[in-house]
Amino acid sequence: MLLWAALLGSAAQADALLVRGAWPSASDTVTPLPEGGTIQYAAYENSYFGLKYPLASGWNQQVEGPPPSDSGYYVLAQIEPEDRSRRSQEGHALIAAQDMFFGATAANTPAELIEYTKQHLDPDFKIEHQPGPVRIAHRDFIRFDYRSPAAQIHWHVLATQIRCHTLEFVFTGRDSPRLSKIVADLDSLQVSDRATPVCIKDFATPENMIAREEPVLLQTRFNPIPVRIIIGADGRIEHTHFISAFPEQARSIGDALAQWRFKPHLVNGRPVRVETGVMFGRAPSTEARNGL
Amino acid sequence: MTKSARIALRFIFLALVAIPAAAFAQSDPGVRGGPVNGQQGAGPTSPLPLASVGSNSPSGVTQFFENGLARFQEQEVVSGGQNNGLGPRFNFNSCSGCHAQPAVGGTSPASNPEFQVIAAGIASGSSNTMPPFLTAHGPTLEARFPFFTRANGAPNTNAPNGGVEDLFTVSGRADAGNCNLQQPNFQQAVQNHNIIFRIPTPTFGLGLVENIDDSTLIAVQAANANNNLGISGAFNRNGNDGTIARFGWKAQNKSLLLFSGEAYNVEMGITNEIFAQERPLPQESNGLPASCLNLSNKGYPEDATNFHVARNQDQSTQNAQVPSDIVQFSVFMRLLAPPVPSMTNPGGPTSISNGQALFKSVGCAACHTPTISSTQASNVTPSLGNAQVHAYSDFEVHHMGSGLADNVSQGGAGGDQFRTAPLWGLGQRIFFMHDGRTTDLLVAIDEHRSNGSEATQVEENFASLSAGQQQQVLNFLRSL
Repeated sequence: MLLWAALLGSAAQADALLVRGAWPSASDTVTPLPEGGTIQYAAYENSYFGLKYPLASGWNQQVEGPPPSDSGYYVLAQIEPEDRSRRSQEGHALIAAQDMFFGATAANTPAELIEYTKQHLDPDFKIEHQPGPVRIAHRDFIRFDYRSPAAQIHWHVLATQIRCHTLEFVFTGRDSPRLSKIVADLDSLQVSDRATPVCIKDFATPENMIAREEPVLLQTRFNPIPVRIIIGADGRIEHTHFISAFPEQARSIGDALAQWRFKPHLVNGRPVRVETGVMFGRAPSTEARNGL
Repeated sequence: MTKSARIALRFIFLALVAIPAAAFAQSDPGVRGGPVNGQQGAGPTSPLPLASVGSNSPSGVTQFFENGLARFQEQEVVSGGQNNGLGPRFNFNSCSGCHAQPAVGGTSPASNPEFQVIAAGIASGSSNTMPPFLTAHGPTLEARFPFFTRANGAPNTNAPNGGVEDLFTVSGRADAGNCNLQQPNFQQAVQNHNIIFRIPTPTFGLGLVENIDDSTLIAVQAANANNNLGISGAFNRNGNDGTIARFGWKAQNKSLLLFSGEAYNVEMGITNEIFAQERPLPQESNGLPASCLNLSNKGYPEDATNFHVARNQDQSTQNAQVPSDIVQFSVFMRLLAPPVPSMTNPGGPTSISNGQALFKSVGCAACHTPTISSTQASNVTPSLGNAQVHAYSDFEVHHMGSGLADNVSQGGAGGDQFRTAPLWGLGQRIFFMHDGRTTDLLVAIDEHRSNGSEATQVEENFASLSAGQQQQVLNFLRSL
């Protein structure tokens, strides 16, 4: 029994989040963001990653995921049968991404990230498919399967790398053959080969920079503030994505970044756009980074 | 066959079909009976301390615990009594009135003491009315208005508030002089959906929680990275020193002393050595009227160190009288033993054991961490040092979605973020979730799923279990 349902009714305001903590934002509303995917015409589409994933028949997103975390982890979509009575039979899918510039682990590749997961799996789980490479939709993936004997639930995890993110498709359910069919359908995934900025970890270092102004964070909050930037061929920052920041932090950092200038990054002798990450505020824990 | 016979046969058939389904339907076993907190020897007004406190190590600690327990139950008045300083606004007149289930130090009891405040004369009925959301057998509540209001009473969503709106005033009490204060406009807040609630958090075992080093919590967080469940929490760090805060529904309080000091001032209106000023409501921008200040006639802070105490033959008993109330409240909570889970009840040992395995399998344990190893060495009492903490919490704050969001920001936690509620002692709690919205564990689990929640994948996994497996999880939870 919900004790407050009768009192407060279905207040729209009670169901709306208006007071946010650290939250994602961006310097413009045009540039695609990792969290900006949509589901339409029975497919999950994400312009940032350039992917289109046709959903299994009768599946859709019923409940949106949380905002990205301060370690750059995204819940991009949560897909499940629209008919709730089918969920316990058919399972559900999670599409997630880990920004490899900011992760809580030292992993630099999907293979390393999956290995980290395996190493930290509770002993009660049984491995069904050791992490290993597979080829799906003309792309390299790492596949890792495990199950819970107690719950009779299976996890099929497939990970690939796009724009310095590990993109994970996690299929969970009790009907392993049914899940295997859905995993096989992942072969219909489409990833565009359009030109994107070159992504380089830790690019914002003195040897690559001409000018750098540190932001003044007026309020001490002690939270990590991961920020992705796209640097134009002219060395100016053309786009900023605050993955997790309080509004006043985003403003201060944005003001500082507007003054940053980079040396041109040359590929085949021509300056190109670069995408990199900068961590402001509190540095994240090194615990997991040391543990790999 | 007669018509009545056909009806009888149809009834028998339906019963045969329906009864097995009902027999296998999972349900919350309800509040577990048996010893209070699972501890032999504990009673509703005599919760047990940690083992080393029971054996008086170090010497004198038992007297401090007993003194703290007594002060936790003291009933405050405004002036002229043994314990002065109540008000001018308050929610109740003692700690133990609200922290009562299943024993002193716990959470909301079955009979709501706030509902009796006027009838019992703690607040005057001539100056106070019963807030419309309080009920005789509903949860004990603290109220907050998420937003300041416009002139017409509508919430101004550009002006977050979030402060506590005390339920009652001392106005009209014989010991409150000429102080004349109005209660907040709760009726209007309810009508405008500009009110949220919190129930008391239980305090058993909190000395162990306080004594976990940050590095241990960070290691737990790291071990759960990339869990394939959509979960990635954060710590609510103290704005003064950057260390991890861990007490309260949003992990907004750093220490038990701070927790005590804030509660004494906010819930009972008693100033103390941490919060030395009387607290007006958030919307009382000019502060409190002079007629409502220093009502106790003893100056500020109303709760202070007792420099002069009566001589006692027992030196430790005398020593325990010296600290202020808030220090002794925190000592009491620090020394309280954690609840002891039942190995057999409800459902029997096999069901509980299976439920525990399922709890981990579906992913509950990704946030409700069963055990944290271990606490720091303790300079207080041996039981607090190098101990395992079976709190079932990672003490991170997680996005819990629009269904649970209360639009109150505290420290680094936003309006949808809550600390993973420790589950130890769950078996003997009555009300669940931060606002006590349900008494049914199944509903509480379902509440974890909504737009923006980190727990949706886990809730899906739980929902995929058979009715029998879900029952085992419920039995396990009620065994805690």
